[in-house]
Amino acid sequence: MESLEIKIARDFSFSPGPRYIDEGKNSGEQFRKHVLYPKFKEAIKTNIKIVVDLDGTDGYGTSFLEEAFGGLIRIDKLSYEEIIKCLKIISKEENYLIDDVFEYLKDAHEESAK
Amino acid sequence: MKKLYITKKYKIRNKIQAKNSLKRRLAFKVHKRQKNISELGISEPELEHKRKFEDPYKDYKKIHAPSKLSFIENSSEVVEFIDKLKKHYDLKSKVFVVLKDVKEISYDAIVVLLSIMVKFKSNKIKFNGDFPKDPEARKILDESQFLKYLFQQFKESDRYSLGQRSSIHTHAWKDVDSELGSELIRQASKTIWGEERRCQGVQRTLIELMLNTNNHADDEKKGEKYWWISVHHDKENEKVSFAFIDFGVGIFTSLNNKRNGSKFYGVLEKVKERFKYGNNADLLRLILDGTVHKTATNRPYHGKGLPGINMALNRNQISNLNIITNNVHANIDNLDFKIMSNSFSGTFVYWEVNKTNINSHGITRN
Repeated sequence: MESLEIKIARDFSFSPGPRYIDEGKNSGEQFRKHVLYPKFKEAIKTNIKIVVDLDGTDGYGTSFLEEAFGGLIRIDKLSYEEIIKCLKIISKEENYLIDDVFEYLKDAHEESAK
Repeated sequence: MKKLYITKKYKIRNKIQAKNSLKRRLAFKVHKRQKNISELGISEPELEHKRKFEDPYKDYKKIHAPSKLSFIENSSEVVEFIDKLKKHYDLKSKVFVVLKDVKEISYDAIVVLLSIMVKFKSNKIKFNGDFPKDPEARKILDESQFLKYLFQQFKESDRYSLGQRSSIHTHAWKDVDSELGSELIRQASKTIWGEERRCQGVQRTLIELMLNTNNHADDEKKGEKYWWISVHHDKENEKVSFAFIDFGVGIFTSLNNKRNGSKFYGVLEKVKERFKYGNNADLLRLILDGTVHKTATNRPYHGKGLPGINMALNRNQISNLNIITNNVHANIDNLDFKIMSNSFSGTFVYWEVNKTNINSHGITRN
């Protein structure tokens, strides 16, 4: 299956920051709005896989990842099933982040279903 | 022009200025009279001696620093010291910090001294002090350039960077600054491993702390309080220590004050009901292991906030983690959670990074 790759360190920032734009530079909100969501829309539309590579950065605050991925459901109203179908996460340096990201998506999905 | 002077506006202004001027002249007259009375019968040479050697800070409130100025090893006394300074800051009264009897200063106390000094000076409240007689303590203060800044003016500013060319760097701001975190880690890794490396656990710790200050230190508004961080490079022992402080409401007060609509609203009652914790020391354990988060959200916990810092310690990404907030001092490495006799309004976090901590190679910046 064809895929689209996003490497955060290359395509966004080496130093991902806080959750919201008003909290500081390189926020999860900024990443979602300008990088992740446009690519996701494209991937869903063309039915291709999207690979997000978390390696190579200085490290992540939990809020960055939660806002970036959870926000796709909460704010951008993408469907959980569609995201899960086309998302692949690479995180060799901090492998626990893969589970975290999928849990953030699950939480956002359950929250939005309420 | 003449017409201007007889306008009503001018007359009112002139009257106010004359009134204020008279007030100042009368006050000075009283002061001068009192001074003359106090100097009656004193000879000219005696007066000269008095002028030369009398304490120039006699109208400053003297605050004695504890002889062991270490937030980690002497937390109760340091909290008491901060509390006294805070009271005078609130009253806007001049303060002189007596450091001459300090026998021991640890690097974690530097951030306390510098942040308080800048707080006073930037608000135009006179702040001064002396220096320790003990050579070792004096050396540490010199390294931090505290004495240099003591005679410098500070403006109310967005951010501060102190001691850039020394082994103790101090920074302050209100926003989350991941790029500063990255820079501090790169410098730290050179001291520890002799080359630039990435320490994702340290970066997470810094981001979570800055975010906590930005989001929770002030009950009313986001981004109101400063966070301060001091980093000390110990080249000899290949170790770098980080001391972070904010003078917000502190963790427990913040949890207690959560309003309706916050996911943590009413969480303390729920946690108390389920886990029957005894005091804030027990509560901090429950916060760090994610229990409070789980109780508030009814969801499994994924390393958010303070528990994320605890996980960085458990993954061996940082060492010697200490948290002091409100009436609790926790040395998390040793599972030592203590209740202090005084309460600190704010949050202080200290940790170290050494050769044994997990890190990543490879920094490519384009």
